[in-house]
Amino acid sequence: MRNLLIFLTCLFAAEQVYAQQFQLSGTVSNGESPIRNATVYLEGTSFSVSTNDQGQFAFASVPKGNYHLVAVSVGFGKKVFKIEIKDEHLVKNIILHKEIKQLSDVTIKDKHIEDRQKTESLNIQIVNQDFIQRNLGGSLMKSLERLPGIKTIGIGSGQSKPLIRGLGFNRVVVVDKGVKHEGQQWGADHGLEIDQFATGEIELIKGSASFIYGSDAIGGVIDILPMAIPAPNTIGGSVDLIAKSNNNLYGTSTNFYGRSKKWFFNSRFTYQNYGDYRVPTDQVYVYDYAVNLHQNQLRNTAGRETGIHFNTGYIGEKFRSTFYLSNTFTKSGFFANAHGLEPRRVNEQLHDGSSRDILNPYQSVNHFKLINRSSYQLQNQKIEIELGYQKNFREEFSQYVNHGFMPALYPTALQIPSDLEREFDKTVYSANLRDKITINAHELTVGINAEAQTNKINGWSFLVPAFDQQTIGAFAYDKIKINENLLLHGALRYDRGQINMFQYNDWFPSEIAINGVTIQQNLQRSANLKRTFNSLVWSAGLNYNLEEFSLKLNIGKSFRMPIAKELGANGVNYHYFSYEKGNPNLSPEKSYQADLTLGWTTDKWSVQLSPFYNYFPNYIYLNPTSGHDYAYGAGNQIFEYAQSSVQRFGGEVQFKYEIFKNLSTQFLGEILQAKQLSGDKKGYTLPFSPPASALFNLTYSPKFGNKLTNTYFSVDYRLTSKQDNIVPPEKKTPGYQVINIQAGTKLSFYGNPLQLSLQVQNLFDTKYLNHTSFYRLIELPEAGRNLVLSVKIPFGK
Amino acid sequence: MKNKFNPAKTGFIALSLLSVLLLSNCKKETEEIDTTYPEIITSATAFPQQCSVIKRGESFTFKTQVSDNVELGSMSIDIHNNFDHHSHSTEVNSCNMEAIKTPVKPYLLIREVSIPAGQKNYEATATVNVPSDVDPGDYHFLIRITDKAGWQTIKGISIKIN
Repeated sequence: MRNLLIFLTCLFAAEQVYAQQFQLSGTVSNGESPIRNATVYLEGTSFSVSTNDQGQFAFASVPKGNYHLVAVSVGFGKKVFKIEIKDEHLVKNIILHKEIKQLSDVTIKDKHIEDRQKTESLNIQIVNQDFIQRNLGGSLMKSLERLPGIKTIGIGSGQSKPLIRGLGFNRVVVVDKGVKHEGQQWGADHGLEIDQFATGEIELIKGSASFIYGSDAIGGVIDILPMAIPAPNTIGGSVDLIAKSNNNLYGTSTNFYGRSKKWFFNSRFTYQNYGDYRVPTDQVYVYDYAVNLHQNQLRNTAGRETGIHFNTGYIGEKFRSTFYLSNTFTKSGFFANAHGLEPRRVNEQLHDGSSRDILNPYQSVNHFKLINRSSYQLQNQKIEIELGYQKNFREEFSQYVNHGFMPALYPTALQIPSDLEREFDKTVYSANLRDKITINAHELTVGINAEAQTNKINGWSFLVPAFDQQTIGAFAYDKIKINENLLLHGALRYDRGQINMFQYNDWFPSEIAINGVTIQQNLQRSANLKRTFNSLVWSAGLNYNLEEFSLKLNIGKSFRMPIAKELGANGVNYHYFSYEKGNPNLSPEKSYQADLTLGWTTDKWSVQLSPFYNYFPNYIYLNPTSGHDYAYGAGNQIFEYAQSSVQRFGGEVQFKYEIFKNLSTQFLGEILQAKQLSGDKKGYTLPFSPPASALFNLTYSPKFGNKLTNTYFSVDYRLTSKQDNIVPPEKKTPGYQVINIQAGTKLSFYGNPLQLSLQVQNLFDTKYLNHTSFYRLIELPEAGRNLVLSVKIPFGK
Repeated sequence: MKNKFNPAKTGFIALSLLSVLLLSNCKKETEEIDTTYPEIITSATAFPQQCSVIKRGESFTFKTQVSDNVELGSMSIDIHNNFDHHSHSTEVNSCNMEAIKTPVKPYLLIREVSIPAGQKNYEATATVNVPSDVDPGDYHFLIRITDKAGWQTIKGISIKIN
C-alpha cells in the first residue's frame, strides 16, 4: 500500500494535494537540488521509504508519539531529527550535506546488511573497511579471523589463506569483483593474493554454496566487493599510514578518486615493508635441535608488498560498466632454520646482520587482474556480465640441495636457475553472465559461469604437473516471497569440467630396481591425462522473519572437481619428508550440508545461533600411510590421495548486549567436529581442524560532542581450547588465552574525518601455538605483542 | 491480524534445544584412535650415534631400538653428504664440521630396514657396506620410522666417513 502511495506521489508530484492524507512528509535535498533514492526511516520501526525523483517522501498512518526521523543517502551524510507525531500533518524538509564516502559507509550499509541477512538463506556475514581498519592484521584473512567460524592457515606475518569452519584450500572460493580469484590455493604456504586496503564490503558465506559459485564452494565463499563508487561530482581520496611494532612494518595505502555525473575513476596504491617477526621466546626447537633466535626474531621472515589498483567506469541510468585493473606483488622470506620440516643450517651472522633482508628461502608472487563488470537494468530484470583475465606468477627460491637421487652438484647445463625450486605460472580467463528477473513474487536468477586456465611449471623440484582446465556451469535460482515474513529459495546447477594434465620427467636419473636389476632412469613423474567431470547440484532454503525473531534454513549439495595435485602429484615434498602420490581415478567430491541460523534481535541485545551439519560421501584427502617408497619416493613416507566419507558438524554463536548506552559486550563462540567414517583413517578427524574457541568483548563508545566521533575502546579476550583430535602428520596443540585491545576515533580534519586506529595484539606477549599455522609442525610459536597504528587521512570535496 | 505463533517462546525453545544438541555432540567422541608417534629410542648400543665415525671400504651394523604403542610400520634409512652444511641434525649436540667442500663422488644410501609385522618393540639392524672410493667428510644419517596409523618419526644424525 505504502509503495502504491509513493507511486502516486511521483505521478502528481504536488505536496499540497496529498498533504492531508499523511502524518509525515517532506523533501530531502542538498540545499540546492533534490536527492533521489535517499532512505528515510523512523528509527526502531518498520517505517522506511526512499525519496522519489523530486526528493520527496511520505509516511501514512504513523501512530502518535515521539520518533527519531533518519535520512541517509549514498555520498551524503546521515541526519537524525527528533519529531513528534500529533494529530496534524508534519512536514519536514531535510538538507543533507555532501560527504566523503568513507564516513557514510557505516551508517548506510548497516541497513543494507540487515536486509541482505534477512533475505539470504545461507549463513552470511558482512564486514566493511571499518572492520578491517579496526582489526587490521598482517593480511586480509588475518583481519577477518576475529569472525566466528573463520580461521586462517598462515605462514609468517604477511601470508595467510582462509579456513571456513575447518575447510580451506580448494574448498573455499574467493570471489573478487565478481570473478573467482585463482591462485595456488592448494599450498599451505601460499597466501591469498588480495590487497586488504583495496576491498569494499566483504561477504563471508559459511557453508556450501556451489549452486551460485560452482565447484570448490564446498566450505564457503569470501565475496570481496570492489571499493565503493564515489558520489557524483566529487574528487578526493585518502592516505592511510600503517605501522606495526612486532615486525617493524611501515606502509601506506593511498587512494585517489573522482567522479563527474556519470564517469568515475578510483585508484589506489599500497606499499608495505616489514622485517622479521618476533615471537615471545629466544629459542625454538627444530626437532631436538635448539635454534637460538636473535632478538626473538624468526630469521628471514621479512617481506614486501605492493598493490596497484585502477578502476574506471560509466554509471548511467540503466547501463553501468566498470573496468578494474590491479596488480599485487609480494616477496616474503621463509623461516631460514627449517624449510618446511627440514632442519637447515644457516649462516646466522649473515641472517642476523639485518632483520629486513630477504634471503633464501623465499617466495615471490605476482597477481595481475583485469576485470570488466557491466550491468543493464530493464523494466523487470537486470543483466550482469563479468569478464576477467588473471595471471598468477609464483616462484619459490631456495639454495639447491641434492635430495634423494638428485646429483650432488647442480648441472651447469640445466636451463632452470639453480635457486628456482618451484615456479607456477597460471593464466585464467573467466566469464559470468547473469539475468535477475522479477516476476510477481518471484526473483529468478539464471546464469552461466565459464573459466579456462593454463598452468605451467618450472623449477628443479616437482610436485604438480602442468595442466589446462576448462569449466562451464549453468544455474537457475528462484527466490519466492510467500508473504511479508516468509521467503523460499530453490536452486539447480549443472557443471562440466575438463582437466588435461601433461607429462613430466625428472631432469636427473634415479636408481630403480626392475626385476631385481638396478638401473638408472629419469623417472616419469606424470603422464598425459585427461579427465572430464559432470556435476548436478541443488539447494533449497527458507527465511522466516517475524519481528525480533529470524530463522534461516538451507540444505544443499555442493561439489568440487579434483585438482591437478590430487590427480597427478607424484613427487617428493622434501620439506615434509613425504612422497605425495596422486590418484588419477578420483571422482568429484560431493558434499551435503544443512545450515540453520536462528536469531533474536532487540534494541538492547541480540543472539544468533548457527549450527550446521555436513556429510561428504567421498572427501578427498592426503593419507599418510605406514609405507616408504624407494623408486619414486627416494625412501620417503608415502602420502596417497584417497577418498573417504566424512561427517562434520558444529556451529557458531554470537551474543551482543548493550549494558549501558555507551557500553556493550559481545560473545562469539565456535565449535567444530569432523570425523572420517570410512577408509584408512576411519575415526580420525580432518587435517587443520580448528579447536573450539570463544571471544569475549567489551566495548566502550563514548560520545565527545562533534569534535570526535566513532570513538571506541574495546577489549577482546580470546579463549581457545586444546586440540587433541588430530590426524597424521599433525601434533596435539595446547589451549591458550590471548588478549587484544582496539581503540580508535574519527576527528574533523579540514572538514574531513581523519580516522585513527590503534591495536595491541597479544597484549601479554603470550607464547602459544596455533593449530592451523603452517609453522605449527616445527613448534614455532605465534607472534608476540604487536602494536598496530593506522591513520586514514581523507582529502577532497 | 492475530498471530498464534509466539516468537519469543518458540525462539527460546529452539535456541536452547540446539545448544543442548551441540554441547552433547561434542562430548560424545570417546572412540579410541592412535595419536601417538612411534619412538626411536636413544641407547648406548645404537649405532651410529651422533658424531660417530664410519670407515670407507668397511661394513658397519646399523642398529636402533624402535617402539610404538600399537604397531610399528616400516623403516627407511638414508645417508647423504652434508659437505655444504645445508642441514643440521635433529640432535641436541652438534659435531665439529669440516670445511665446506665440493662433492666428487659422494656416498648415497637409500634403503629399507625390514620390520616384521605385528611388532610394538623392535631392534632394527642392517649391515651397510661403505664403498672404498667415496668422498670422505661430513654426512647425514637419517632414520625414518612409521607406525601402522601413518605417524612418522624422523631422526637425523651427523656422522663422518673417513
